[in-house]
Amino acid sequence: MMKRFTSALAGAALAAAVSAPVLAASGETVKTIQDRDSLLCTGHNGSYLGFAEVDDKGKWTGFDIEFCKALATAILGSPDKLQIIPVSWAQRFPALQSGDIDVIIKVTGWTMGRDTELGLQFARPYFIGPTNILTRAELGATSAADLEGGVFCINAGTSIERIVADYMGAKGISYEALNFEKAEELRSALYAGRCDALAGFGPFLAATRFNAPNPDDFVILDEVLALEPEGIAARQGDDNFIDVINWMVSALLMAEEHGITQANVDEMRANPPSSSIGRLLGATPGIGDRLGLSNDWAYNMIKAVGNYGEIYDRTVGEGSPYKLPRGLNNLWSKGGLHYTLVLD
Amino acid sequence: MEAALRPPVVDTTAFGWARRRLFATPVDTIVTLCFGAVVVWVALRIVDWTLISALWSLEDGQTCRDAAGACWAVIEARGRLILFGLYPYEEHWRSTLACLAIVATMALSCVPWFWSLKRLPALWIGGFVTFVVLMHGGVFGLSVVTTEQWGGLSLTVFIFCSVAVIGMPMSIGLALARRSKLPVVRHVTSVFIDLFRSVPLLTILFTAAVVIPLTVPDWAQGDKLGRVIFAFAIFFACYQAEIIRSGMQAIPPGQEEAAAALGMKYWSRVFDILLPQAFRNSLPATINQFVITFKETSIVTIIGFFEIMASANAAVGTGEWGAQYVEVYFFVGAVYFLFVFGLSRYGAYLEKRARLTHA
Repeated sequence: MMKRFTSALAGAALAAAVSAPVLAASGETVKTIQDRDSLLCTGHNGSYLGFAEVDDKGKWTGFDIEFCKALATAILGSPDKLQIIPVSWAQRFPALQSGDIDVIIKVTGWTMGRDTELGLQFARPYFIGPTNILTRAELGATSAADLEGGVFCINAGTSIERIVADYMGAKGISYEALNFEKAEELRSALYAGRCDALAGFGPFLAATRFNAPNPDDFVILDEVLALEPEGIAARQGDDNFIDVINWMVSALLMAEEHGITQANVDEMRANPPSSSIGRLLGATPGIGDRLGLSNDWAYNMIKAVGNYGEIYDRTVGEGSPYKLPRGLNNLWSKGGLHYTLVLD
Repeated sequence: MEAALRPPVVDTTAFGWARRRLFATPVDTIVTLCFGAVVVWVALRIVDWTLISALWSLEDGQTCRDAAGACWAVIEARGRLILFGLYPYEEHWRSTLACLAIVATMALSCVPWFWSLKRLPALWIGGFVTFVVLMHGGVFGLSVVTTEQWGGLSLTVFIFCSVAVIGMPMSIGLALARRSKLPVVRHVTSVFIDLFRSVPLLTILFTAAVVIPLTVPDWAQGDKLGRVIFAFAIFFACYQAEIIRSGMQAIPPGQEEAAAALGMKYWSRVFDILLPQAFRNSLPATINQFVITFKETSIVTIIGFFEIMASANAAVGTGEWGAQYVEVYFFVGAVYFLFVFGLSRYGAYLEKRARLTHA
């Protein structure tokens, strides 16, 4: 979703970074965080709907922020041992390399360029970002093919432009693109009826629908134009830190799979219904020692932020204004793409 | 003998003025009526949207959807976020006082009594120390608030003032160096100025904020906000130096030659003859530059600073208030207007004053 100009800038900054010695210590991120007793995580320069927002009192909330809290709790035992550093899209990669932040949790797509040339290491995807179509309900369209010849509002200079062109081209559907620079312009154009459909990132479409003068006038089609797996990124060469992040995401999913919630985690820990739940919550030691953390890290984390489903519902799902369906972000057993690693 | 012409009778009442200026001919009348109708219609629409149909606060169960005009409830709910950004909620009073301190310093430095080489620096050092102590804390029992958490209007005003206060002396130095009789100094300054002017501000700020930490050892980095302000100040100084230099070029060379012939020293010639006139000559362009700089402070959002534009974006970047961006931009626009209009009025006052004292 990054603009071309800012990405060019980020590229220039990173070219400078590659030619210069990387100063931030790699390989010891967890120790650095523990010594500092605080995790430096990404925020946003403004708000990013549902993922990193600022509430009335200037406190950060949102899906990405909850994962920052989860990671802080896993490593340091408390969600308050966290500093959210506001960074723009363009700034996130150089900021990670220079050590301004410890980790990028900022709806960041796992791409080959970032994984290799930019010197990042991605942990397993924690969110599957779909590109969808929002359309006027009165058109009665149920798929992109029904919108043949229609006008599509598209955010200029973003990857959405290419995704729509590729998808529609492959299916042989003709359409007329109407490009806008700012999200506000896109929305007003849609509300004013200048376009038949708006293509974009799922959560953005959910917010656009929510803010419409009458939300029932608009529907989000189930059709997925493209998927972007969003991963948590750290500096290359720190296997232990990546392990911690992978198991953090996995523990949140495992908690949901086994019905462990913020509310019943104490009970579950006292009487684990199965041995794997006992291991997860630290009733049986092992989950912490092997990562260099305390054995109750997963318990603390679930106690602080809940399981994956609870985080989702609270920030972008049913419990939030966006009401974004779980869709592909559900567990595999419920038709989604998320699964847990095996805790042996 | 010719009969003396009687002086033309001029009706000076408003009615007479209107008849002369607006309704002199049938075409005039038509044009006046058409444009008048458009102006009245637009004005009514704006008044209706901003005041008459506007919703000022939300009662139980009401939402902004119920508003036919503006929904100012967004300012009620999100106003503190817009004005203070990420600054800790309980400490907002500190940010308020700090902002007032710096605005007061700005206002005082507009008073001619402070215009001396001793008083002005003393005033600004006092203003900045007060600001930083209040904002950063760590002394007098105030809790520490790091610059990452600074935001909103206080940050915007602080960046603007710092850039202006650091940039102005720098620009005078650059302007003098560019007129230097020593070729090395003159050429190095020219290259320096041209180099900074030919790079976009965004690139300079991005480099200061993001690239320097990658290339410079930790101990030499300093605070990110400090680096950005310094880089911004250099950029400002390069433009301002050329403005001041143009003011200097306008002074006839004979003046300086005469002063030199009288035995006046270089610095005396600069401070007593060159600069006072150069400032006066370049006043309109200088005010222009200040206004541009004030508005350009919003560029720092791209490097993650929460100045007023970023906090305004944060305020509307939620599901709940996403539709109220017009109201929020209107509010921020009004804040900018207050400062920029103040600056322009002050510029006009200075020009009038210069005409009076140096007629």
